[in-house]
Amino acid sequence: MDFRWEVVWIAMPQMIQGAQMTMQITLLGIGGGLVIGTLCGLIMAFRIPVINWLVFVYVSVIRGTPIVVQAMFIYFALPLAIDVTLSGFAAASLCLALNAGAYITEIVRGAVLSIDKGLTDAGLALGLSYPQVIASIVGPLAFRRTIPPLGNQFIISLKDSALFLVIGVAELAQRGEQLTAQTGRALEIWTAVAVFYLIMTFTLAMIMRLIERRMTIL
Amino acid sequence: MNRPATPYLIRCSKLGKRFGDTPVLEDIDLSVAAGEVVVIVGPSGSGKSTLLRCLNVLEPLSTGTLEVDGKTLGARGTSARAIRRETGMVFQQFNLFPHMTARENVMLGPRKVRGQSAKKARATADRLLERVGLLDWAEHLPRELSGGQQQRVAIARALAVNPKVMLFDEPTSALDPELRGEVLQVMQDLAAEGMTMLIVTHEMRFAEAAAHRLIFMDHGRIVHDGRPEAMFANPPSERFREFLGHVK
Repeated sequence: MDFRWEVVWIAMPQMIQGAQMTMQITLLGIGGGLVIGTLCGLIMAFRIPVINWLVFVYVSVIRGTPIVVQAMFIYFALPLAIDVTLSGFAAASLCLALNAGAYITEIVRGAVLSIDKGLTDAGLALGLSYPQVIASIVGPLAFRRTIPPLGNQFIISLKDSALFLVIGVAELAQRGEQLTAQTGRALEIWTAVAVFYLIMTFTLAMIMRLIERRMTIL
Repeated sequence: MNRPATPYLIRCSKLGKRFGDTPVLEDIDLSVAAGEVVVIVGPSGSGKSTLLRCLNVLEPLSTGTLEVDGKTLGARGTSARAIRRETGMVFQQFNLFPHMTARENVMLGPRKVRGQSAKKARATADRLLERVGLLDWAEHLPRELSGGQQQRVAIARALAVNPKVMLFDEPTSALDPELRGEVLQVMQDLAAEGMTMLIVTHEMRFAEAAAHRLIFMDHGRIVHDGRPEAMFANPPSERFREFLGHVK
């Protein structure tokens, strides 16, 4: 096997740029996803009338369609439907946020529902209001329980960002494709791309582990 | 015109509760005077726990009226929350907040419900933890405590908001026999200090030792309501005699 290290070396600056773009999209995606998912998850868990049906439809649509289709829809179809044109980067971040948001909705809903009803009773019996019970008791406990599945979702989102090459966003996978075309060295380029992804997902996993350890899951 | 002070801390009339089509409580008329210690017994499914949960509106009533410390549920300015503030509750499963230390568990009510400063709430908590013999355990999480200790913290937590009435829902049923004594002792001390208490329990010896009144429930109704010594000595019905035979 002939592995030419200098190819990796020459491609390095472009791959680092690609990795940076991947990280930016992922951070915006999981950040937005956390906001959406927390809000929607609470709406579902507490069965807020009417809007919980809207959330249900949202989650069903996102979970029921491939993320590639979602990316294509936001980038190519949305401008035709409503007069909004998004840059590839904006479309990718929005798509990832909407996608992660749906899954995080389920994570948050599940965590809230897993908290023993007796604790809510105990809080209410003390004379706390329902919002106080959520803020002091259910919220903190549920939050701890979301950490392991959230870590999982963050890694999935990071890897899913690779498919934004279909809308031409210059993230890591798209760079890999371009560099392969330029150099004709698929082995070196895709090995390097894979290593980059591994480093990023591993770092993310370690961060989540750290948070988990500092917060003893109850 | 001033309202006359009501002699009763709890008064409910024609209280009823149904889950769907199933009636759980029917026609409950009950008045409890300040300082009374009332033990409620009955076979499982007779509605004892549901009655307690209705008295602090953890279960909304289906029918009837409820008055606690002169506040009528549903009247202007009286929310379920206003009633719960006057009633402390102790649960079979303790239900301590697992992410808070014993002290933090006891402090939460004074802080959030009575609006006490952290310093004052801490003093309240420590005084109550000392009273249940657990001041040395103040910094521990519930999972580091035995069942009996957890239940004593739960009693301190309920007392911390200064309730007028304490409701105990089978407080010793989840405990190993050797741990029940310490919890019953705390309850007996409370009773001796004049706390108004309603206790659902199977501990007949506690009923004999501490209760002023014994209520026997069956099929969602109050069947007997009398003095425990008299009821034990002379069971007023065959059904009650049979029940005693099972639990004693």
